[in-house]
Amino acid sequence: MKFALIIFAAAGSLAAQEFRIPSSFDKFATRAKEMVDVNLDGSLLQLAARFLSDSDADEAQVKKLVSGLKGIFVKSYEFENRGEYTEADLESLRSQLKGPGWSRIVGVRSQRSGENSDVYLRSDGNALGGLVVITSEPRRLTVVNINGSINPDDIRRLGGHFGIPKLDGTGNSKKNRED
Amino acid sequence: MKTFSLVLPLLLFAPAASFAADREFRDVVEAISDAFHTKPLHIPLMGLVNAVTYFARPAGTKHLDIAVFENLEARGRRDSDIASSIRAAVGGSWKPFLQVKTMRDDTEEHVLVYMRQHGREWKLLITTVERRHATVIQVALNAAALERWLVDPIAAVRHRMRDIDD
Repeated sequence: MKFALIIFAAAGSLAAQEFRIPSSFDKFATRAKEMVDVNLDGSLLQLAARFLSDSDADEAQVKKLVSGLKGIFVKSYEFENRGEYTEADLESLRSQLKGPGWSRIVGVRSQRSGENSDVYLRSDGNALGGLVVITSEPRRLTVVNINGSINPDDIRRLGGHFGIPKLDGTGNSKKNRED
Repeated sequence: MKTFSLVLPLLLFAPAASFAADREFRDVVEAISDAFHTKPLHIPLMGLVNAVTYFARPAGTKHLDIAVFENLEARGRRDSDIASSIRAAVGGSWKPFLQVKTMRDDTEEHVLVYMRQHGREWKLLITTVERRHATVIQVALNAAALERWLVDPIAAVRHRMRDIDD
């Protein structure tokens, strides 16, 4: 009985570490002039991995990466005007990433462009359990949530696949850099 | 001749009968009809198209239901409501896979893609709403035909939008 309680408590604490994009973000769907919302759960992701080639070096690497993933969720908004999202909206994301197991491994602040990028990593014991990238600019907001075992260096390889924007090592999108 | 006259209706309607459009397809069509106060175009010989699709399976497609709406710009569209109306019509039994909203000529355009597994096949429910027209497609695909959608969904949407423009 005691053992069952411990298992239950452990499962609860693991579940608490799961990152979810809050439903309050739904309001941005109507405010944004451009929006992309991709939901690839584990079954779809593993199905997708079957189609990646083993002979193409790039695709083979992506296929290997995907085999350890349980889900990829991307929400990206581009607004006509500044101020469509607030610091409180960002805090609703960041507060989830202060819990046990999460650590911020990259934080970039640009005074000139107003672009901020944060990369958070979740560890489940010795294993990596997930990665979240939050990129905010005055008129753009992108949240990438990758659930499963992934190395931060590998996020660049996933960029351009599964709806994930092409990212550099700091989590900044290349499109933004080109702007 | 008698045999032919018996078989032809079966060819035309049997696949449609055994893989009839899901309720959610009809609900989305109804949501768009209500929003724009119009009806989808009548597509002649859709039964024949499905008979061919069932046997030939072009590009992994096994069954196709399609509804096309035209001349929407003349019908006082409700941009802010249409995506949420479609989401409500689909409900929770399909997996929301992809949603894209873009602005073109000051008009919102939407693509909403839902998925549902059906045995060894996958069903896609794809709704596009543009300035002039809207389409609702329910298609049953084999796994290989899903590749484009799963590996690069954004490119698949762009490809789909180009098809509609053409």
